[in-house]
Amino acid sequence: MQRKFSRSFDEIKEIVFFTEQFFKKHDIDTSKRYLVDLCVEEIFVNMVTYDTETDADILIEMLPHENGVEVSLTDYGVERFDPREAGSVDINAPLEQRTPGGLGLYLVLKMVDEIHYEYKNRTSKISFVAGGK
Amino acid sequence: MFQIEFNEAGSVVVAGRLDAAQAPRAQEFLDEVKDECVVDMARLEYVSSAGLGVLLRTHKRLMGDGRGLRLINVSNHIKDIFMYSGFDKLFQIEVADQSGPD
Repeated sequence: MQRKFSRSFDEIKEIVFFTEQFFKKHDIDTSKRYLVDLCVEEIFVNMVTYDTETDADILIEMLPHENGVEVSLTDYGVERFDPREAGSVDINAPLEQRTPGGLGLYLVLKMVDEIHYEYKNRTSKISFVAGGK
Repeated sequence: MFQIEFNEAGSVVVAGRLDAAQAPRAQEFLDEVKDECVVDMARLEYVSSAGLGVLLRTHKRLMGDGRGLRLINVSNHIKDIFMYSGFDKLFQIEVADQSGPD
């Protein structure tokens, strides 16, 4: 299944609905929903927040995978940003040193089974497999 | 759907999905909290990093006065997110009693 979403946080509820439909269609274990919802939201929010030089919709594709779900988010007309190179978060830092920044992609990298990145013709595509852990 | 309100005991009750679209409303509500505060998460279904940021900012502000947030009735899914985020080291967290029927 695939669908395009406009660059607004208001689209998150539509993405959640899209994901729900995908899970139903392929009869995928709903215990994996939280993980997929979280990773999709974090990557989508990151694209909307930081890829501000484009108005193009973001394409989300989902496929069943032997270990859960394979998801990709594609952003058009943007600079390269490989999430695997995102800075780490020190989760052992004391409260006064903790900031919310970077936590979203940190969680994605910790929780997915695989993550891949492609960048070509100013098109940025992040793919992940989740649900097998 | 996300809801945030005070209950009769003065605890903050959150319900539904606390995502990036709802985080500003949660932040606006929690910015009004001036004292140590319990946040009841029994009906919270989902929280993303945007929601974690709201909790972290509020907790830091209150801890500046030696107070803070106490998170209660936390579900297993959300507890896992707190653990991955290191929030278990920053907050008092009480997991929900899940021995009863759903």
